[in-house]
Amino acid sequence: MKDYEIVVGLEVHAELNTESKIFCDCKNAFGLEVNTQVCPVCMGMPGTLPTLNEKVVEYAIKMGHALNCNINRICKQDRKNYFYPDLPKAYQISQADVPLCENGKLEFMVDGEIKTVGITRIHIEEDAGKLLHDDSFAGSLVDMNRCGVPLIEIVSEPDIRSSAEAKAYLETIKSILQYIGISDCKMQEGSIRCDVNVSVREKGTSEFGTRSEMKNVNSFSAAVRGIEYEAKRQIELIEAGEKVIQETRRWDDAKGMSFSMRSKEDAQDYRYFPEPDLLTIVVDEEKISEIKNSIPELPNAKIKRYVTDFKLTQIDATLIAEDMEKSALFDACNTLNICKPKNISNWILADISKFVNETGKNISETKLTPELLCAIIEKIEKNVISNSAGKTVFMEIIENGGNIDEIIEKRGLAQNSDTDFIENLVKEVFANNEKSINDYKNGKTNALGYLVGQCMKASKGKANPGIVKETVTKMLEAE
Amino acid sequence: MNIDIKHIAKLSRLKIEDEKLDKFEKDMKSIVDMVDKLPEINDSLSLLDPTEPMTLRSDMAVTNKFKREDLLKNAPEVQAGCLVVPKTVE
Amino acid sequence: MRLYEKTASELSEMLNNKECSAEELCKDVLDRINETENKVGAYVSVSHESALENAQKIDTARQRGEKLHPLAGIPIGIKDNISTKGIRTTCSSKMLENYVPPFNATVINKINNAGMTILGKMNMDEFAMGSSTETSYMHLTRNPHNTDCVPGGSSGGSAAAVSAGEAIVTLGSDTGGSIRQPAALCGVVGLKPTYGSVSRYGLIAFASSLDQIGPMGKSVRDVAMLQSVICGHDKYDATSKAIEYPDYASNLKENAKGLKIGIPKEYFGSGIDDEVKDSVMKAIKEFELNGAEIKEITLPSTEYAINTYYIIASAEASSNLARFDGVKYGYRAENYSGLTDMYEKTRSEGFGDEVKRRIMLGTFVLSSGYFDAYYKKAIRIQNRISSEFSSAFEECDIIATPTVPASAFKIGENINDPVKMYYNDVCTVTANIAGLPAISLPCGMDSKNMPMGLQLIGNKFAEQTLLNSAYTYEKICGGFDALSKAL
Repeated sequence: MKDYEIVVGLEVHAELNTESKIFCDCKNAFGLEVNTQVCPVCMGMPGTLPTLNEKVVEYAIKMGHALNCNINRICKQDRKNYFYPDLPKAYQISQADVPLCENGKLEFMVDGEIKTVGITRIHIEEDAGKLLHDDSFAGSLVDMNRCGVPLIEIVSEPDIRSSAEAKAYLETIKSILQYIGISDCKMQEGSIRCDVNVSVREKGTSEFGTRSEMKNVNSFSAAVRGIEYEAKRQIELIEAGEKVIQETRRWDDAKGMSFSMRSKEDAQDYRYFPEPDLLTIVVDEEKISEIKNSIPELPNAKIKRYVTDFKLTQIDATLIAEDMEKSALFDACNTLNICKPKNISNWILADISKFVNETGKNISETKLTPELLCAIIEKIEKNVISNSAGKTVFMEIIENGGNIDEIIEKRGLAQNSDTDFIENLVKEVFANNEKSINDYKNGKTNALGYLVGQCMKASKGKANPGIVKETVTKMLEAE
Repeated sequence: MNIDIKHIAKLSRLKIEDEKLDKFEKDMKSIVDMVDKLPEINDSLSLLDPTEPMTLRSDMAVTNKFKREDLLKNAPEVQAGCLVVPKTVE
Repeated sequence: MRLYEKTASELSEMLNNKECSAEELCKDVLDRINETENKVGAYVSVSHESALENAQKIDTARQRGEKLHPLAGIPIGIKDNISTKGIRTTCSSKMLENYVPPFNATVINKINNAGMTILGKMNMDEFAMGSSTETSYMHLTRNPHNTDCVPGGSSGGSAAAVSAGEAIVTLGSDTGGSIRQPAALCGVVGLKPTYGSVSRYGLIAFASSLDQIGPMGKSVRDVAMLQSVICGHDKYDATSKAIEYPDYASNLKENAKGLKIGIPKEYFGSGIDDEVKDSVMKAIKEFELNGAEIKEITLPSTEYAINTYYIIASAEASSNLARFDGVKYGYRAENYSGLTDMYEKTRSEGFGDEVKRRIMLGTFVLSSGYFDAYYKKAIRIQNRISSEFSSAFEECDIIATPTVPASAFKIGENINDPVKMYYNDVCTVTANIAGLPAISLPCGMDSKNMPMGLQLIGNKFAEQTLLNSAYTYEKICGGFDALSKAL
């Protein structure tokens, strides 16, 4: 079999978390009783007209900046015409030739490497309603609550080369949407969905293969499964001497298969034309830069920085960067330049994460500050206290705050590095553990760790573990 | 110019009865011939008009403007607060 | 003289002076409807009870000394494509035969706030597509001047009712001439306002970028008064313009002296009836005698206006009328198998042939491969027509043309020739294409004793100048004889 390469382009639809819908002042809410968040406008009553929600434009521009796009400050909306019961007007107000944002790029890490994917465009449009089906009922039911919920569609270039890259791309998009606060990104509520374009080609060729478009991909893991299935299907076709046809397919995640919906020949003719009920969208230059300035450093950029500047692993960098509070704390600690970034990262991902998970509190709700955290780590790094003593200080600080030196003093946590004290300690432990000493002599090197542990225990954790280990080794050799 | 009436009807979700097809074809042809008489001009064309910028709506939600029953009163078929349509999936 | 014969401004004064009550007025017009409606057929529905109720309410308010709008208690008819909450709004289509809107059009809220008495809903060409009101699914409307003739369209019911005395004033809508053409054929005054000056919210759309609601009445002052009620920015219509709108009626004044009137030769070509040309030229001469300056101008792209209009209007219509699919409201076919069949049967049974033709034309010009050749080309010409008008208004204040090529034709005469019917709009579509205000005024009767129309076109949002010029002409004529004497 020849060596194939997968080519993927993704279209992500994200619902925006505005107060009201895109073209009317109905509440933009999920999960309420059917057809209760509806008005004549979003149910397409004759004579009604759309009015565009300014927040939708603002949010889309925000995402445009986040994905390094050009912002078309003068643009328009167009009608996409097709008949379906979930589309009350029988056209979707979308954007055709002039989207709000275009020509961007997204950089993110995959397997420790930086991957760049081009962003073709981001446009604004309205969501459709929902069709409900029940086997006991001969028809389908239409719930229009979702009609007019604002969406942005983010279209990527076909720059993705594997399902792992697709997954990383999608996760990055999701974390950015959350970071800039424009979408709730609740997969189970369908607030972020994607269409997947897949083709395959022989490695080394520059021309693209014939692609299929997969709809109904409702989770990132489904995207991974869908891409792998579809690539395999296409490769098998080619290997069997058949042709891949351009078509739209529906992904059935339960069955783990895609099914043909329609081929290019009977592709829908959407008859796009400029929406005559709306005028030209014109956004002030100042507004655009104001939105740009409101965007914080984004998780993908942070990950890149953490990996390259601080030598964190991609996994650790991602875990910190994707949490706004954790990354804020990490960044603040590093600015103080007191202790090692790796140690800060370990504390954030271990003890702090544990505390946050167990108590349900945000870091900002605790007494912990970047200064205090660095002070604790510094004490450990300088062997003033042991790591376990550090945990005790940390718990005291995060719950009640206070002065670190006083806590060490009050609780007697200071570490003992006195060589006489430690030598006596080791002698005492050796006296009670002859078996371990023999084990060590017989080549069971893990006895060393056991003996060090016993010494630490005997010192009630106060002995400097480095010196203990050194002394134990020295004295074992001398036995 | 001849146009594919059946295809256009299909796109429009209209069904033209066979006995009316000829008349429709003839009428449509004469209409299309009429609109066909447009000159080729090379004026630059923009479908955008920044001189008339649109005023956007503030993002504020208004709840309970309409009762569901009032909005669905005109619907041909309603069940469980929903519109009813022929089944859309097999 | 009966009350229905009077103008709104006369009746406004009488009501204010308590020379008659709103209830008497309302009853007199309802009586008139009873007397002549079987000959005219202007209404789709008459709301006797709610009309009388409003009249009584206005009378009580007046008794109590409340400050009322000058048009409070004046009976008005509403074209049946303007949404009225709780009152059937059919667009004269089988598709919406039983549709009752749950909300009011913005103009209806304004009419209600002014305390006007809504008499009912006026017959029209189905979905405003037609020039004779013959495409109405409901019934024919006849021209009050000769009931063998059409009243024009699509606001045929609105025009015929004013001419028959079945309403004091009415609202129509105008996409390509649908107010002005029937106004001309019925001998009444009809204004198509500047695009964006009257909210379209609640007007059931035909062609969104061209549609505009406007007033019809027996005098220029009546039309000016009603225009002041309905105009203004509306936050529910993104295309409505937020500017100050003057009180047209109180500012009405004659303006012939120094008025620069442009006469575009393209509107006096071979397709225009000689009698119509003569009467329009006579009207222009009158202006000149009263001090106006007449200028020959040229609007060379006029010859492509009809084509351009039918492309743009049909394209938008094909999309606007797609929502009538038997799901949310309106007609649904009885027997069908599956979704597509339900759509096709519903729409084929619910729409008449003219509507189907326009939907298909619009679908065609937007369809893959034809968009550039038709739609984009039409927009280019639209831009040209607009800029030609802009240049013209640099050298003149208003433009005078015939409203229609000829007086009213016989019922059935053009119905089987769509293209011939479309040419009825030849003088009127340009104002829609360029978004300009235009008014049709009666300018005499032809040899068949049928009314002819003078059209005055103004610059954007220059309704005051346009209405002043119209008022001037009305004064020159010594008033219009808008009420038909033939009934």
